[in-house]
Amino acid sequence: MAELVFVTGLSHAPGMTGWLDRAPEHEQKSLTDGFNALGEKLRAAKPDLIIGLANDHVLNMPVDDPHDFCIGTAANWKGPAEWFRDWVNVDPYQLAGNSSVATALFDGLSAQGYDTIAKDELLFDDNWSVPLKYLTPDYDIPLVPIHMNCIVPPIPSPRTCYEFGQAVQKIVENDLPAGLRIAFMGTGGLSHDPGGPKYFDVDEEFDRWFLALLEEGDPEKVLRECTQEKMSAAGDGGTSELIAWIGAMGMVGARPSITICYEPAVELRCGMGCVYWEMEKEPANV
Amino acid sequence: MGIADTRRELAANRMIFEVRRDPALYSGFAENFETIMENYGLSEEERQAFRDIDIKRLGELGVHPYFLPQVSRLFHGGAYNHNNSPSAQAYGRSVVDGKGKTR
Repeated sequence: MAELVFVTGLSHAPGMTGWLDRAPEHEQKSLTDGFNALGEKLRAAKPDLIIGLANDHVLNMPVDDPHDFCIGTAANWKGPAEWFRDWVNVDPYQLAGNSSVATALFDGLSAQGYDTIAKDELLFDDNWSVPLKYLTPDYDIPLVPIHMNCIVPPIPSPRTCYEFGQAVQKIVENDLPAGLRIAFMGTGGLSHDPGGPKYFDVDEEFDRWFLALLEEGDPEKVLRECTQEKMSAAGDGGTSELIAWIGAMGMVGARPSITICYEPAVELRCGMGCVYWEMEKEPANV
Repeated sequence: MGIADTRRELAANRMIFEVRRDPALYSGFAENFETIMENYGLSEEERQAFRDIDIKRLGELGVHPYFLPQVSRLFHGGAYNHNNSPSAQAYGRSVVDGKGKTR
């Protein structure tokens, strides 16, 4: 019986590491302070391992053969993939994986019928390169990456992603070794539209609504109100990445999220923010 | 146009998927793309859209939206990709302003 010690949802737009200096100073400070504070909280929870859930960005699963989820089973990872290196402006890094945990996740999730594949080679772009830079700047906490398809329809519904998170939580609780301390990060969003007409826009109203909704700690209300259509309207090309945060919510159940920071970062072409859930308290009965 | 309009079987989608993964393909793409397009069997319509750097047209043909800013970066570079960078500006002229051809 492993222990879930920290759960977070955060943005990963490449401008955060690539061209943050172009954002207004108050946004730079708010986001840098917020992401650094999130990193301190994560490291203070002393996780042995991070399980991450993020958009594959059609980098490892092609347009004509996507799967809902792809679990990275390698013992070691490196990034950023070369073509993305100058774009994300992150120096080459390496970090450990965890093959046995990844295999346990793959076996358990496949057995429950999730459309899941496993790969021991994955290219990383901004999906991990941006969060890791802030959360584990020394790259000293192993990562089990789960890439998902959230931009090539049909994509998993918010409810599927929520239940996927619940299933991961049960595997952590029942199948992973006792004493192992697990952190979970769902990364993507908030509103943005890469490849669409709203490329230079951020939907601040949607973003603030979504963050407030998560703070209520009522998963059924989130699933009822945060529909695929609503996310698409806030930016068809990328806002659906927020199903990674809904997967994180599946890990924690009826707990209110705590928002650390949010900025409608137009210069980063993305609503940027991060939240976490306190794991010390029992979830409420909603 | 949106993610739902993607044509999964489009040759350009397979080409762009592979190009970003392979240094032999993305190095010098802007100079070598005729050969690469030939190798991936792109239609004449797809090829002309690449020659024109017509990002809007590529979207209309069914290229996945996420690939479209990346096509701009293949031609104009990806470093320091802020809103006034050459690749973001070319994308904006073609798709957001609706001008289509950028070359």
